[in-house]
Amino acid sequence: MIPKKLQNWKPEKGFPFKCGLEIHTQLLTKHKLFSQSVNVPNCAPNANTSFFDLAFPGTFPKLNPEALLLALKAAAALDASISTTSSFDRKHYFYFDQPLGYQITQRFRPLARGGHLQLSKDYDDVLSDKLINIEQLQLEQDTAKLNYDDYDSLVSIDLNRANVPLIELVTKPDFENLLQVRAFIKKYLGLVSHLGICSGDLENGAMRCDVNVSVAGGDRVEVKNLSSTSEVMAAAAYEYKRQVAQLKESIPVEQETRSWTGTKTVRTRSKEDAVDYRYVPDTELPFVHLDPSIADLIRAQLPEFPETVVRRLRNAPYGLEKKYAKFLVESPLHLEYYYKLHSIIVGEHKQPSKVVNNWFVHELLGAFNKLGLSPDFTMLPAEKYAALILLVQNKEVTSTSAKLLLLAMLQPSEEIAEMSVEEMVDHYKLRNAAEAETGDLKTAVEEICKEIIEENQDAVEKIKAGKHLSIKFLVGIAMRTTQGKVDPKLFDETFKNLIYNE
Amino acid sequence: MLRRGLRLLSTASHDPYNCLISAVQPPLLVKKSGILAGLKYVAKDNICTTELPTTCGSAILSNYTSPFDATVVSQLEEEGLTLVGKGNLDEFGMGLSTMFSHFGASVNPLFVEKRICGGSSGGSAAAVAGGLADFALGTDTGGSVRQPASYCGIVGFKPSYGRLSRYGVVAYGQGFDCVGILANDVATTKKVFNVLNRHDSKDITSMSETTREKVREASRPITGRKLRIGVPEEFLLSEVHQKTIEQVESILHKLIEQGHTVVATSVPSMGRLLSAYYTLATVEAASNISRFDGIRYGKSTSTTDLSSLISGDALIRKNRSAGLGREVQRRLILGNYTLSAESGDNFYRATKLRGKLVQEFNDILSFPNFLTNLPANEAACDVLIGPSASDKAPLMSEYESEVKRNFLNEYVNDVYTVPASMAGLPAISVPCEDRAYGIQVIGQYGDDSTVLDVAQLIESLNSSI
Repeated sequence: MIPKKLQNWKPEKGFPFKCGLEIHTQLLTKHKLFSQSVNVPNCAPNANTSFFDLAFPGTFPKLNPEALLLALKAAAALDASISTTSSFDRKHYFYFDQPLGYQITQRFRPLARGGHLQLSKDYDDVLSDKLINIEQLQLEQDTAKLNYDDYDSLVSIDLNRANVPLIELVTKPDFENLLQVRAFIKKYLGLVSHLGICSGDLENGAMRCDVNVSVAGGDRVEVKNLSSTSEVMAAAAYEYKRQVAQLKESIPVEQETRSWTGTKTVRTRSKEDAVDYRYVPDTELPFVHLDPSIADLIRAQLPEFPETVVRRLRNAPYGLEKKYAKFLVESPLHLEYYYKLHSIIVGEHKQPSKVVNNWFVHELLGAFNKLGLSPDFTMLPAEKYAALILLVQNKEVTSTSAKLLLLAMLQPSEEIAEMSVEEMVDHYKLRNAAEAETGDLKTAVEEICKEIIEENQDAVEKIKAGKHLSIKFLVGIAMRTTQGKVDPKLFDETFKNLIYNE
Repeated sequence: MLRRGLRLLSTASHDPYNCLISAVQPPLLVKKSGILAGLKYVAKDNICTTELPTTCGSAILSNYTSPFDATVVSQLEEEGLTLVGKGNLDEFGMGLSTMFSHFGASVNPLFVEKRICGGSSGGSAAAVAGGLADFALGTDTGGSVRQPASYCGIVGFKPSYGRLSRYGVVAYGQGFDCVGILANDVATTKKVFNVLNRHDSKDITSMSETTREKVREASRPITGRKLRIGVPEEFLLSEVHQKTIEQVESILHKLIEQGHTVVATSVPSMGRLLSAYYTLATVEAASNISRFDGIRYGKSTSTTDLSSLISGDALIRKNRSAGLGREVQRRLILGNYTLSAESGDNFYRATKLRGKLVQEFNDILSFPNFLTNLPANEAACDVLIGPSASDKAPLMSEYESEVKRNFLNEYVNDVYTVPASMAGLPAISVPCEDRAYGIQVIGQYGDDSTVLDVAQLIESLNSSI
């Protein structure tokens, strides 16, 4: 879906928009980049810190090979050329968030250079196909997190984030409009989370982005430290507008660094007082030597890319809508479950694909949502869920009953934990009344309806007075009384018969 | 600063020479087993110990105790050894006199008059020379073990780079830093070396098992062999004192008498090394010492000014200005200048010269260099010999005024020791017949055993008179 505001966004005539991105994403490793501390967000402040993370003297960095592998996967996925020799450098600056007084990064020999990501009209929210080229990809450390408490005049430093592995992706300044910028970030994050490289969890700061904007070939202005796609969009749009306005008054745009306040960009540093980071090779870390064949080896092991998977899901035999296909691809667990369900219901039992799509997307995910739970598929194995869906398809259980049963199964209960779907259906007496003798059913339904009419005379009066829809109210009561075992259509007909024909 | 140091010396010191910054009180009982049984030792105060603080001779770490022991300390502990105290040093190892310590200067026990004990491992050297310990651990970046050993009349051994673990050793210049051993004799030095000479996976620069194995296979004891000993002409600078030359020559004569060959040789790059060394070492120091900001540990000036917190570097600047001594600040400025974009390619050129130096040593030493993996020059020398310092230890008062006149005087004394540091070679200083003077033996990278053997030979020549 393309937001209207962006769809209509176009650079002004005579003021072409040029933009590049630097995207930092945290890697989903078990441990930090250069220490043995575990890498988990959302824990007590400073709980996951080692002597090295705290920059105690006498400690050394040691490269975590898992971080290297994940970074290589990203490089391979972007078709970047992986350096056979890469190395680490120190970038110096003093700040509370930087325990060593420098950040270990890759300045002189990055892990990979080149590469690209294709934005397509069909798959991404762009108006035409566009290739975005990659400048380089490097490994580096994250910094500590600072929390400012103005009231108590305190700055608290949380070093859990210090030394968490990041990959920094630098694009060429290939973006010509905001839609492309947005589509790129979404696609890149989708790709790295699909490949298990990064959590893509923006809420927890898994991504930070710097955006470079220049107008009509002028100097570039960098807006630093944006933490969501919408911030990047807003900052880039604002910066474009600001520069155009300035150029229209014949004031040249200077190269500078700015930051985003939430409503506008403000100058942090001009070119003159730019920080000299005093880069130097880090001789405490050995060179990373890689076999030239590593790119091919890694590429061969990568799972299918999201775009390929989405394309398949949209076509037969799946026939999912694009948005649901994309949603599934974003979480490998969802996708795996969906495939399993599909293979049982469509593959083995030859039911139409839309049955699976409906029961998975609307009913199952909807039920988790209704219960306020995040999807946990271990609560309901695909085989079990498939059995329930098949009961509905075979008209042994009404879909209303099945939905109630689904909710019950997603709530922990010792009573039914060990039961099969069949046993549950019997336990709750949900087996479709259609199975019972038709004559008996009719009589039973009539009896129930009569009783309800007796107890709800005011509603009956309203219906007789012309409010025909109130009949649904009575059907609702009947369904509740019978726990959804009876087809609501049968109740509807019986009520109509009893009320209008008497 | 120097004056304050001397005052501190008379009041707060743990010993007559102010060689210890902290001491274990009361001294622990000595365990009596193992090859080092019963020996007491001092660790330089830039080697991390959990038992005593690790101050690096700096105000900024004056309240710092490490939560872990350095590998070398653990190794000695496993042998049942007793740490008696932490040796004084020039702040962060930056100096050659142990005059530049926050805890005051150390005095040389070898002399009645007040002479410097050299540095930066001056406290370690003085502790051994003064009888407070049987041996001491020091660190040698550009000569910081060999030069104080020479001044204090004891043995000071800097092994090949990477031989002994640096884990838990506060880095000055990590590309040069070596843990070294100071002792009264070579035999003790060898015993301690044998305990510490292990690969450590916690230290990424530790010499690999493979290299150690290759070296072991290539090594041969010197007993019964006629050695070829080279004397690089670059060592015989005009600054070398006549008495020093006499002492070194006397030993060379005795070696010749024993049938060994002494040849003049040359390491042409040596003359240009000092500036390259100070370029590289100060760059590494400027980077390494960045972490001492008084924020997570160490001394901090208190602040209630939130704006200084928000601006970020104001508090850090305050802490560092107050917590780092003048000589350290001077070297950090030097290093940061080299690191800065304006300084051009000094760093690169210094690194290149280092490579050239290694090649020159390879050309004149017969033992193969297993790092460069080039064929060895069989006809070349087993070891190189030269002075450890230009003269005996200067008087404290003389030294103080010289450094005051020009701080570069503090730097030039490294000229004899820096070559081995720059090339990562093992080198040892052994007392001459007059113990106020030291002679230096340098060997090929990895050939620590030959260096120690030759040192023991020289030692025996002294006592044979």
